[in-house]
Amino acid sequence: MLIGIDVGGTFTDGVLFNGRDIVKTIKQPTDNDNLQRVILDVLDDLLAAVPAQASVERIVLSTTLVTNLLATGRGERTALILIPGYGLPHSAYHLSPDTFFLRGAIDFRGREIEALAKDEVISLAKHLIQLGIKRAAVAGKFSNRNRSHEDQVAHLLKQEYPDLEVTLSCDISNRLNFPRRAATTYFTAMVSPEWQHFVNEVEKALQQKGLKAEVHILKADGGTLPLPVSRKYPCETIFSGPAASTMGALALTMDQQNSLVIDVGGTTSDLALLVEGVPLHASKGARLMGQYTHVDAVSVRSIAIGGDSPLTFAEGELKILPERHGPAACFGGETATVTDAFNYRLALNQGDINRSREYLQQIADLANMKLEDLCDSIITQVVTTLTETTREMFKEWENEPAYKVWEIVHRRHFTLDRVVGIGAAAYCIIPRVAESLGVQPFIHRYSDVANALGAAVARPTLSVYLHLDTERSTCAIEPGGVVEKRSDISKFQLEDARKLAVDYLYAMGKARGMDDYLDDYKVFLEEQFNMIRGWSRTGRIFDVGVQIAPGLIQAYQGVEQ
Amino acid sequence: MKPTGLLFFPAFDWAISPTHPEREERLLYTRDQLFEEGIMDLPGIKEYKPRLAEPIDIAAVHFSVPDLDAHLLEAHFVAAGSTLVIADAFMKGEIKNGFAIIRPPGHHAMSVTHGNRGFCNINNEAIMIEYLRYHYGLKKIAVIDTDVHHGDGTQEIYWDDPDVLYISFHQDGRTLYPGSGFVDEAGGPLAYGTTINVPLMPKTTDEGIHYVIDNLVLPLLEEFKPDLVINSAGQDNHYTDPLADMRFTAQGYATLNHKLAPDIAVLEGGYSVETALPYINMGIIMAMAGLDYSNLREPDYARENFKESPRNLELIKRIVEVQLDRFRTRQEEIEKNRRSKGEFFSEYRRIFYDTDYIHEEQQVRLRNCPHCCGFRMIESSAQQRNGKYYRVMCISVPINCCPTCREQAISHYQDLTRSSRYDYVYLQDRIERQYRVCQPDLEREDIIK
Repeated sequence: MLIGIDVGGTFTDGVLFNGRDIVKTIKQPTDNDNLQRVILDVLDDLLAAVPAQASVERIVLSTTLVTNLLATGRGERTALILIPGYGLPHSAYHLSPDTFFLRGAIDFRGREIEALAKDEVISLAKHLIQLGIKRAAVAGKFSNRNRSHEDQVAHLLKQEYPDLEVTLSCDISNRLNFPRRAATTYFTAMVSPEWQHFVNEVEKALQQKGLKAEVHILKADGGTLPLPVSRKYPCETIFSGPAASTMGALALTMDQQNSLVIDVGGTTSDLALLVEGVPLHASKGARLMGQYTHVDAVSVRSIAIGGDSPLTFAEGELKILPERHGPAACFGGETATVTDAFNYRLALNQGDINRSREYLQQIADLANMKLEDLCDSIITQVVTTLTETTREMFKEWENEPAYKVWEIVHRRHFTLDRVVGIGAAAYCIIPRVAESLGVQPFIHRYSDVANALGAAVARPTLSVYLHLDTERSTCAIEPGGVVEKRSDISKFQLEDARKLAVDYLYAMGKARGMDDYLDDYKVFLEEQFNMIRGWSRTGRIFDVGVQIAPGLIQAYQGVEQ
Repeated sequence: MKPTGLLFFPAFDWAISPTHPEREERLLYTRDQLFEEGIMDLPGIKEYKPRLAEPIDIAAVHFSVPDLDAHLLEAHFVAAGSTLVIADAFMKGEIKNGFAIIRPPGHHAMSVTHGNRGFCNINNEAIMIEYLRYHYGLKKIAVIDTDVHHGDGTQEIYWDDPDVLYISFHQDGRTLYPGSGFVDEAGGPLAYGTTINVPLMPKTTDEGIHYVIDNLVLPLLEEFKPDLVINSAGQDNHYTDPLADMRFTAQGYATLNHKLAPDIAVLEGGYSVETALPYINMGIIMAMAGLDYSNLREPDYARENFKESPRNLELIKRIVEVQLDRFRTRQEEIEKNRRSKGEFFSEYRRIFYDTDYIHEEQQVRLRNCPHCCGFRMIESSAQQRNGKYYRVMCISVPINCCPTCREQAISHYQDLTRSSRYDYVYLQDRIERQYRVCQPDLEREDIIK
């Protein structure tokens, strides 16, 4: 049996899945001040339907904890220590009110250009003691190519200030983009104590219940991460909500088509794309607190229209309001909503259709419009906004930068196959959106709990990225921040570099219990450069990326329509 | 505030040959530097994706003998198309200025092309200029060529066009490829003074180059009042460039772009792939985006190494003086030329293609028109790299041409299509955007679309 729990902003959903069907679903209001309580309550309710605890094999949690901590400013005060070297001015980095700069510079080949100023580090440690700051994030430009400066800073800081918790950027992400690395490291350091606490509590509760299931956290990319591994990478857990519904759409459709996934929530709708059955990722990484990060995330567009968005007539204009006042009138609410307009006009017979008419009529009277015209106007407004946003997404995807001739000549083109509706209000709205896009709608009887299902059946993901410089005999590996000297790579060809990356993927994947999926790896990046000095080759540079892409666990074979 | 447009196209899968300076590795470290700095994430930067130029865009500039497919690879279409993407973004007002960091380069490619010259097959800037003139109606354009090599291709294409001001400073042609760009090369008889060359002695530093910018380039732009300023942004004046011998720095390049404030910059040469390009490209981007670039420098930069010699500075001052005067008195010179006898100006020239080792011979005729800058007829012959010999006639009607010249040009073309003197006869009519290729022997005519 599988359990998936998705904590949303308003509601928390849970599903218990067995064989080919959902055995039980739970929906509870989310208490944002006590997320672990909500999760454990939903878990208890689901477990009530389980004959024996031992039959639960896997539990996946999708939680907003980290996002909430950062958004509400409850992360711990953290010093951001930067070693930016030369390039952009220091004023370009305004992430933290406690930002400190150190001298020292590394170049793109990982060579030291300027030594670290050790005395500066020591006086900074003393300064941090005075300020009472207990955590520090350290990030150096090109530390992904040579981590020695970051390591030295950590060593010197700890020497002067043993209680300081230090997080290094090369450990959090080893990819190019210093500001994103700094931001990701800073946020990681900020939320780390709360996240450790959360993991401890969940582990304790599961132990008390005698559960032996493997526990995963859903990541922003639509894959899962074993709970113990998440201790090191708490930021990977952000934006798992849209990832859950996108994976839910994949779980309901189970094929390789191009789908637009629209999760119609209470007050917002999230749009994502499945390209040949794989969620489309945001090219620049997730954006957190206005900063780009190195967190891989499903590319999501949110618009402020949901099923419960109230309708109003004010200042001579018919409007859809952004804030929720409660459920749709047909479901007992006290205001006419977007759902009511679709319900009445399209005769959908959702809830009490007479209530839909009654509340819509009040607005129609105010606007001095015919009831049908009022509904048509709302429907047009919703459908137009959604289809326009969709077209923008396609265009953006087609216009993503490309750096090879091949990629330009074989131009990207996206042909939509269908629209998958997720969320309770999808049933009303999605068919009309699909019609305006000229494709078929896809609504499943489990569309309203697809997010929790998506979490339950998402498989773990892992991307391994290697940068090899045979002239300098260096090998940099992501994740893990390993930068090592390797004398054995001097004669490497692209195939050898690829094999090395795959070897690392297998080693790391096995350590994460991903054995079942490793043979399904894909190479997503392969670049090789001959280094020519004078007129002869002095070495090669390889960039290779291999991954286990988002997908569904093997045990899941679909759900009955 | 509008962002700066950036189109980064390193062509990581294209090289002239594996060990050639124009190889995959060229922009690798620039990629590393730009990406590590997170330059594309800045709110003041908008990144664009390349597109393929259409054959018609290229035919607006070049007579590719015998046809476009003979010399052009997909990489060339992408590089040229990239400049058009930036041009569109600029003209539509999406960006305040734009920089196309692209390869392969183009400023040595001339109107007629039998192969590759100086790593260039087609002239990216000229293709962009003709695109802008036709689609957006721009009239006067200034090209400032900041590559260390004289941009003989761009100079030749606009030699007879008084509406394109071409200014190039470069290492003296006696000491560097392509061996041209001397002070007296000042434009054709009806476009005299809008080609301005400033040959500089080897080892000229930031100080010398900035003297040229401050005292010649900026005043000329002020007087010429172009609709658009283009920086043909080579990066090989740098003190570490392996193919040239100048002493320019990344700070020097950044300051140059700050002063020049080009609307569009297009990468040309620059082959110090590790020690110059990452820093110069950063500098140009930062200057164009209005960012503080004072924290930018090369790892081995030491200020004391970049002092200009008084003797060289004196020489530069003299050149600047001569060129200022030439530009300011150009109309008188042109009027004098117009009064000369004969309907056509005629010139014979030989062109050497270093990369492909081709010797081309040209007879160029320009109509001495009282109303416009005339139309050009170029008779060209060369044995190409594959051993084939071609003798062709290329007739060009510029966009600022008068109706009489245009009619005459078309009538010349029609006459020649009925004779068998040439293997190919080309008509390039920029006014109607009509590009024809005729093979008289086969009685075949193609229209490039």
